[in-house]
Amino acid sequence: MRPTLLLFICMFSANVFGQWALTGRVTDQNEIPLIGASVQEKNNTTNGTVTDADGRFELILSESAQALVISFTGFAAKEVVISRATSDLSVSLEEDVSLLNEVLVIGYGNSSKRNLTDNVALLHSEDLSNIAVSNFQSTMSGKAAGVRINQTSGKVDAGINVTIRGTSSISAGREPLYVLDGMPLINVNESSNGAPMNPLLTLSPSEIESINILKDASSAAIYGARGANGVVLITTKKGQAGKPLVSLNMSTGISSPTNVIELLNTAEYKELFTEAAINTLGPEDGTAEIEGLFDYLANGTDWRNNEVDTDWNDIIFRDGQQSDVDLAVSGGDLKTQYYFGGAWNTTKGILVGNDLDRISARMNIKHQLSQKIAAGMNIGVSGAKIERVDNDNSFTSPVEAIAQSPLSPVYNDDGTPNANTLYPNFLLEDLYANYTTKLRRITGKVFAEYKFIENFRFNTDFGYDNSHQTEDQYRGTLTPFMSTNGYAYNSNVTSENYIWSNYFTYENELSRSAFLTVVAGQEFNNSNRVFATVTGTQFPSDDFQSISSAAEITAGTGANTTYNFLSYFARAALNLHDKYYLKASIRRDGSSRFGSNERYGFFPAFSVGWIVSEESFLKNNRTLSFLKVRGSFGQLGNSEIGDYASQTLYNGVSYNKISGIRLEQPGNNNLTWEKSKQIDLGVEFGLFNDVITGEVDFYTKNTDGLLFSVPLPGSSGQLSFNKNIGNVESKGVEVVLNSKNIRSKNLQWTTSFNIANNTNEIKSLPNGNADIITGETINRVGESVASFFLPEFAGADPATGDALYYTDGAGSATTNAYEDANRIIVGNSQPTWIGGLTNEINFKGLVLSFTFIGEWGASIFNGGGVYQSSSADYFDNQTIDQLDRWQNPGDITNVPQARLYGQNGTGPSTRYLQKGDFIRLRNVMLSYNLPKSLTEKVNVGNARIFISGVNLLTFTQYTGYDPEARADFDSYGFDHGWNFYSAPQAKTTSIGINVNF
Amino acid sequence: MKNQYIYILTFLSLIFLPACDDRLDVEPTLSISEETALSSSASVSKLLVGAYEIDGNAYSHGGYIQIYSDLLGADQEVSWNGTFFEPREALTKEMNAINFLFEDSWRNTYKVISQSNLVLGNLDVYTDDAEKGRVEGEARFLRALNYFDLVRLFGNDVHGVPLRLDPITDYGSDLSIARAATSDVYAAILDDLSKAISLLPEDNDVYADRFAALALLSRVQLYLGHYEEARDAAEEIIATSGKSLSASFADAFNHDEDGEEDIYSMQVTSQSGENQLIQMYASEENGGRGGDISINQPYLDLFDDSNDERSQFFYENAKGDRLSGKYTNQFGNVPMFRLAEMILIRAECNFRLGTITGASPADDINTIRQRSSAAPLVDVTLNDILLERQRELAFEGFGIYDIKRTQSSVAGLPYDSPKLVVPIPQTEMDTNPLMEQNEGY
Repeated sequence: MRPTLLLFICMFSANVFGQWALTGRVTDQNEIPLIGASVQEKNNTTNGTVTDADGRFELILSESAQALVISFTGFAAKEVVISRATSDLSVSLEEDVSLLNEVLVIGYGNSSKRNLTDNVALLHSEDLSNIAVSNFQSTMSGKAAGVRINQTSGKVDAGINVTIRGTSSISAGREPLYVLDGMPLINVNESSNGAPMNPLLTLSPSEIESINILKDASSAAIYGARGANGVVLITTKKGQAGKPLVSLNMSTGISSPTNVIELLNTAEYKELFTEAAINTLGPEDGTAEIEGLFDYLANGTDWRNNEVDTDWNDIIFRDGQQSDVDLAVSGGDLKTQYYFGGAWNTTKGILVGNDLDRISARMNIKHQLSQKIAAGMNIGVSGAKIERVDNDNSFTSPVEAIAQSPLSPVYNDDGTPNANTLYPNFLLEDLYANYTTKLRRITGKVFAEYKFIENFRFNTDFGYDNSHQTEDQYRGTLTPFMSTNGYAYNSNVTSENYIWSNYFTYENELSRSAFLTVVAGQEFNNSNRVFATVTGTQFPSDDFQSISSAAEITAGTGANTTYNFLSYFARAALNLHDKYYLKASIRRDGSSRFGSNERYGFFPAFSVGWIVSEESFLKNNRTLSFLKVRGSFGQLGNSEIGDYASQTLYNGVSYNKISGIRLEQPGNNNLTWEKSKQIDLGVEFGLFNDVITGEVDFYTKNTDGLLFSVPLPGSSGQLSFNKNIGNVESKGVEVVLNSKNIRSKNLQWTTSFNIANNTNEIKSLPNGNADIITGETINRVGESVASFFLPEFAGADPATGDALYYTDGAGSATTNAYEDANRIIVGNSQPTWIGGLTNEINFKGLVLSFTFIGEWGASIFNGGGVYQSSSADYFDNQTIDQLDRWQNPGDITNVPQARLYGQNGTGPSTRYLQKGDFIRLRNVMLSYNLPKSLTEKVNVGNARIFISGVNLLTFTQYTGYDPEARADFDSYGFDHGWNFYSAPQAKTTSIGINVNF
Repeated sequence: MKNQYIYILTFLSLIFLPACDDRLDVEPTLSISEETALSSSASVSKLLVGAYEIDGNAYSHGGYIQIYSDLLGADQEVSWNGTFFEPREALTKEMNAINFLFEDSWRNTYKVISQSNLVLGNLDVYTDDAEKGRVEGEARFLRALNYFDLVRLFGNDVHGVPLRLDPITDYGSDLSIARAATSDVYAAILDDLSKAISLLPEDNDVYADRFAALALLSRVQLYLGHYEEARDAAEEIIATSGKSLSASFADAFNHDEDGEEDIYSMQVTSQSGENQLIQMYASEENGGRGGDISINQPYLDLFDDSNDERSQFFYENAKGDRLSGKYTNQFGNVPMFRLAEMILIRAECNFRLGTITGASPADDINTIRQRSSAAPLVDVTLNDILLERQRELAFEGFGIYDIKRTQSSVAGLPYDSPKLVVPIPQTEMDTNPLMEQNEGY
């Protein structure tokens, strides 16, 4: 059917006379009219129309018109042969039930799921919408196999770690590449307060039409040096030809922490610390010392009679609130399609002092100028304002308030925060200081497509991404640690990224049984970041908070960094007989980030697929309706190591206001990308006429030349040296099952399940495979990346109450001398299994859907344990496990004797390590489509009301706040599996309404 | 025809873009390359300033080095009230190799040494000999100062610390290095100091001058028990430096700019430099953490005269803890060598040698006492001199070193107890296969 070039040109020049008209009607299989369905003359894309409210259309056809193409979202497109004899055509479209016909975005092109030889997970806007979280990443949680979404903590702005198929790098970036409508997004955390922020917070989930996650090498290799961690392709909403569609969504909800940990009350605190002081200092001195402290902590209240019994959890957490409103208008005709949308989110976090306000708008427009040229523009602008709290490792972080004594009153009699607490009262910071971050973002592209001939086209896309962040901090005279009459800090950072992509696409039927698609092009990407800060002190009063009122400017910094990528890429895909598929791609990337000797890299990938069910021996098999096997091999790169990682750098410093320079980083001209070789073998199947479909994938990733910040001996004077050395191999399996359990007229029930296993093993390391130990974790050949490396805790000595450790792991001899206990490998910071289970049950318009997620195999080290569960080593309030402490000879317990300043068992050990396995009801929603009879009365197309919940249920043995909370300072949380006074996630219940006009 | 233009345009665009290959050469704007940094005398001199900056870091002479010594040398005299136990390990003498403070101090101190080595390895770029001599002298002073504290904290009589005297040119090479013998470390220190003393000018702004090097030499020789050399160096400073004791004891501290008594200090301003002594000794109002280290009665019991200003040089924080008055200026300099120390060294050495070079021991001791309104002593014993050091120099980083060199004890531990030697940081053990851990860790 596909015309050759010559024929096409002949036809094209012969369309000027003999036009004729045709009317018709388009319905679904139940004869219900389809409004806004597209009706197009085949091979004449500019000639078409859309159906009206009754599903009717009228179209003037060209002389040569032989067929119409009729399409509608969610239905299989249909080609109808016509002639002048045809009158009042009646077409019924069939609902497109097969997931296999879904169109996937694969980078510089699209492909149907059926024809694809890659592993790509597709999420639709319906999967992502109406979930009461303020960032789009969290909406993906549990929905794609092998994709782990971890929001660091329950702070509204908390950083997010997205890991696709586990970690395959040790020192370099592990985040996937985010590409929005072809534009690689800036995803750099620019927070100055020590806790990472989610830079993509500005993107409203309501703008997103679909997310395609490229997981294997065959799909991601087209992104070359940036594809090793997977690629997340985000497609924003577009208009469809047809009547304007107005959609309005509103929701509001309340939230609370998923869990709080239990702490000692005043009576228990007094008993424990009196006992601990006596154990260390003797009855007389001990009692005197501790009562002196109680006097101080009680701040004039009667601690002997438990006058005050503060549970600081009550002070830290509050009822949060989240409201979302978004409004979009979309529509168009066959030539022009438009989408305008705006969204507003306001979130009052569960932590006191933590709030978010976001407003965003998007306009996507596309116009077909002529048969040959189409052009358009997408632009999204947004602004977010975040009121932030201190990082987890700060005295004035709210959650650290659980270290305060229950004896301490929270407020003075006059209502001001009590300043005489064990640690600075975070309410003083909350009340007299502020830290406001504002993010503004413009992400847009202009694009044009030129069709030389029907099957050969050229695309040029110019994209621009601008992320601008300001931080304004003011700490007033009444804040803790204030000695400079006020303190102000301002930062201003602008990151700009522009990318110009040019590529040709050629699609042609070589013969009846061979279809070829070729894409080739090049891309230039420039990224620039300008950063400046200023710090001032000595303010006239707290009424003056702007930096210009500071009498003394104490610090100023500035930076201007750049990186460039220059890339060439090509991809060819061949489809033989609609059952054999071959694909090859290659990308050549050059990056300024790498050493002058190793600047360019080639990233090839090959894949094959075979739809076995098309073969005659399976063709009419009633059980196995679809079977495809596919395999791919590819090589990817990871270039996320910072802009100047290869260079020897000397930085400017100041001593006594005189400038100096110092060696900051020793350079390595041979530094280059991490190369990751990946093999993926997959099977896709459909059973019982695709009632059950599924996918099983096995993969290995072998990452070589790991970008390694090799720790140097301190005696060298430098911390580390960037080197490509080391090798990690990851293996995994992913299973996806989708089932349409019930499909009756009144009741539909679908289930989607995914589970993924990922393990990795370090094959080689720098310095002759020497162990790399960082804090509580180790990288050792033969073991997983970032394994926990700790002495095994053996409980309390029944005779003495001393903390005991195994000298060489569980079962060996015990010792009470911490330094005599060998460290052993006792777990890993990354989970080995992750899974998700989604169900949707629709009963006459009443829809219940819910998603469970689960993680197994990760351990979490409680970095705060040494203070919280420390046998009363210091005056921090303790967790209730301390009630089971050793008190008398013969006591068998895991909690050693309480000893003030005794460091009895406080060394890092498995005592503070716990499994972080959990199953969580990530989201649940009950919605009801209001009956047409009702909506028509108020002139509304359709309307839906819903009640939804996020994180409503959690099943876990973990005793910390939340198995999904990790420390947010430095790399302790994600890299080293630390929890450190980290805020639990929010549990949210909301109600809302979706209306379409 | 129209098509042709578009063909041309698109192909042009493809031809144009490859010409951007040179765009992959991106130079950082914040930093300079090795070639630039080491090519001119101006930039090598800036490296030297950088070495001071590194040395002024909290983990080195910005305060922690001094704090470890005083906590190790104390028992009941001070309390550790801070919330993290790492410094407390020095006070309880239960130190661990995983203590990150010791690690950071180890690293940072070697960083000063490394940067000094870099300066000393690139002196060829100087054409002016005086300038070159000054730079060399300062770098040698800084290197000696840091090796001296490293070997005293982390070494014992026999086992010193890794000794590097040349810059590292390739950080990709094997950087394993064994511990040098303590005697070799001291030989290097004394060599650096003798050269520094001959090279440095007598006046050198806030940077190390000849008297700073002499003061360090005096301190090193005293520690080694070379009393004549220690006395002579101290004497030269007292006689020729023009320094004098400040009018009152209080005037000797919390300087924004070096005072008449300061021989050498680490410079702190509100914009640069760190003062960890403030952090740990001062109240929140004075810029500290509220009084992590407070002073107890046993320290006050060392005084023999209630008029002694030094016995009252304290204040209370909100909790009622007694805090030292030596550190109350948040952005004050960190004193490193005061003239008072030199007078005390001269007194002790004269006493031990039976000489009266410069002044008699009693006169020196009374000079110190009278400045603080303490009654003069008629006769002095060695014990009087050592006590006077504690009254005068407490909380300035002398604690454990005086105990070790006088072979006394602290908290029931003899001066040579392995518990008084800071463990080699675990990270050094983990990255340097030639390193040997200290006894008992």
